[in-house]
Amino acid sequence: MPLPRPVYIRAETVELSWADATRNLQELVFSAAHAALAGGGVPFAALDSVVLAAHDMVDGRSLSSMVTAPAAGAYLRDEVRLGEDGAAALAMATLRVAAGLSENCMVCAWGRASEGSPEAIAGALFDPFFARPLGMTEVAVSGLRASAALRERPRYGEARAAAAERRASAAAADGRAPAGGAAPPPAWPLRAGELPRWCDIVAALVLTSEPTAVRVGGVAMSSEPYWLGDRDLLGLPALREASAQALAAAGRTVRDVALFELDGLTLFDEALALEAVGGAGRGQGMTRIAGGAPFNECGGYALGYCAPAMGLVRAGEAARRLRERGDGVALASGGSTVAAQTQAAVVLEACP
Amino acid sequence: MNGIAVTGVGQTTYRRRHADRSTGELMGAAATAAVADAGLGLADIGAFVLGVAPDALCGVNCPEKSSFFLPARRPVVRVNTGGTTGGAAFALAVTMVAAGQADHALALGLERMGQATTSQKVFNTIFDPIYEKDIALSTLSMAAIRATLLMQRYGYTREHWAAIAARNYRNAVANPYAQVRREISVREIEESKLLAWPVRLYEACPMSEGACAVVVSRRPPAEGAAWVRGLGSFTDTYSMGDRMHRAEGSLVDLLTLRRAAERAYAEAGLTGAADRLRVVEIHAPFSSAEAMAYPALGLCAPHDGPAFAERTLPRHARIRVNPSGGPQAANPVSTAALVRIAECANQVRGRAGAVQVDDAEWAVATCQGGANQFSMACVLSARPG
Repeated sequence: MPLPRPVYIRAETVELSWADATRNLQELVFSAAHAALAGGGVPFAALDSVVLAAHDMVDGRSLSSMVTAPAAGAYLRDEVRLGEDGAAALAMATLRVAAGLSENCMVCAWGRASEGSPEAIAGALFDPFFARPLGMTEVAVSGLRASAALRERPRYGEARAAAAERRASAAAADGRAPAGGAAPPPAWPLRAGELPRWCDIVAALVLTSEPTAVRVGGVAMSSEPYWLGDRDLLGLPALREASAQALAAAGRTVRDVALFELDGLTLFDEALALEAVGGAGRGQGMTRIAGGAPFNECGGYALGYCAPAMGLVRAGEAARRLRERGDGVALASGGSTVAAQTQAAVVLEACP
Repeated sequence: MNGIAVTGVGQTTYRRRHADRSTGELMGAAATAAVADAGLGLADIGAFVLGVAPDALCGVNCPEKSSFFLPARRPVVRVNTGGTTGGAAFALAVTMVAAGQADHALALGLERMGQATTSQKVFNTIFDPIYEKDIALSTLSMAAIRATLLMQRYGYTREHWAAIAARNYRNAVANPYAQVRREISVREIEESKLLAWPVRLYEACPMSEGACAVVVSRRPPAEGAAWVRGLGSFTDTYSMGDRMHRAEGSLVDLLTLRRAAERAYAEAGLTGAADRLRVVEIHAPFSSAEAMAYPALGLCAPHDGPAFAERTLPRHARIRVNPSGGPQAANPVSTAALVRIAECANQVRGRAGAVQVDDAEWAVATCQGGANQFSMACVLSARPG
């Protein structure tokens, strides 16, 4: 659905770190939120609402937004915290501004992988009777996807090494990857260079109803069943539908997209996501990444990863690059638990 | 909020533990009841907002996902704002409808806290692990601090807390969804176990499981609609010490609820709320906590609070506070705020059954969460405005 009124991104910040013992979670959140406000020249008093995305179990305390909401600027403001990926928070914040319920909205999402075991937290997502005893984690599901992709998409095997090398090169060139970030235990057939680099990440965006250099053209969300056997693990139909609807809301097609910033936990998730949104033909996702498609240009999963921040990280990266280029359309997405069961997509447009 | 209304309400019964129903079955029961009440099917719902608070209570991270009962390929969003979770889910459903993303959105709150072996330990993890654990701060001691302050500053007595609780239990007898459905006398309450002075067992809420769902629709037929006339939501500072002597409002003045109510009343065009409201559903897990909402909602001045409380006690009081029995009848934490909105919606729809209040044209529901850090107020009316 088209947005009832235009929504713009005033400023964005993505901050990465690893096990910074000098700052607690609130300070990490405050740092990014403050940087976004300062970068956009937005006075704190201009904010009238805050939308957050965070998971208690990642943060290590119940109702973590009690301490993080004020850090993100919510003191005596309208605030809500989603237990979803940051892209969903961006979508909901966009709808708030589009509906006239807010004029200037802070969107903030974070994850601090250094605080706990991402594998143990991911394991608790799964059904305690039928799935957890199998040792399922988010990375394990990516392994299942990769296995199926290697069987169903022959070119994935041919291009995976080159694609992984390109992700590593992009992350190295970006230079923001903090020292010390760990990688999860491998899940067959995933290899070391195809796995995420765990990271502490905070992303903050400021949305506004006033025109800026980057407009939110459209947003959409979709979902899949819980059980993996009920899903199309390779086709990612929720992402396919969310991206198609977001593009339609913006009056765009995938051919208009100059930059794809798509959340993917591993190299195979990224390649399949690129296919799902139409940025690559069926079976061509890995080859496109290996060939240097305009996709997750900072290195994606290889730069740093922690749910549920990543969709907002992707949108923030897209907004920054559109602002720098002054032209183009970007498609950003974020998948949330369980194993990308819910998806949100956002179309961003540079406003010359 | 023009043209947006609650058109369907569905609830499960609330119990200490629903041992016979899975999480998905609870959510499904509330959702199907709500859409049926709206004259719809699940396939007609364009967006879903699921409210679930601390995952640790049921031992599954994001339990709403592994209990998915919804049609695939629909927008589904999970919200977690502690006690206000159900209200926040409702507000996001309103947002999605207001932004034209769906003609009908479903807000659903779920609570499975009966699965927890130690709910108080889970709740204690909302507090700072370094500075607050040493002083045994818990949801109970927090309520006791506030009750004491209310007694000291505004003249409430322990008899007030018992009388408010007795009124809530009396009202709950007629509520078919209530967990506690028996009258409990003032004397019985005063003689119940002391939890944290001055709060006694029967002045506190029970532990409850259950689900509540509300359908929010755009431009529905007037018949059966509860019009969402105003919504306000505000967040306070975390540290309660920062609220003790604040000029804008102390720890017991609920500054955030006051501002939320002011915004909601302004949106609704509701002036003179104290004279025009017939129904108020207050989200307060302790009878003493209910008193903080009276002045915040503009129903009385702070120092008139004890007298106002006394005026709410008769069975046919002019302003009916918690005709459902409120959270003392059942307190499914992440659902209780949505229950307040659902009950108000049914009151202005004239569909509240045995707890129906006559002439309920306007109703206001409050939502509190996170050590009373988060507040919402929702004004519903029988008229679209």
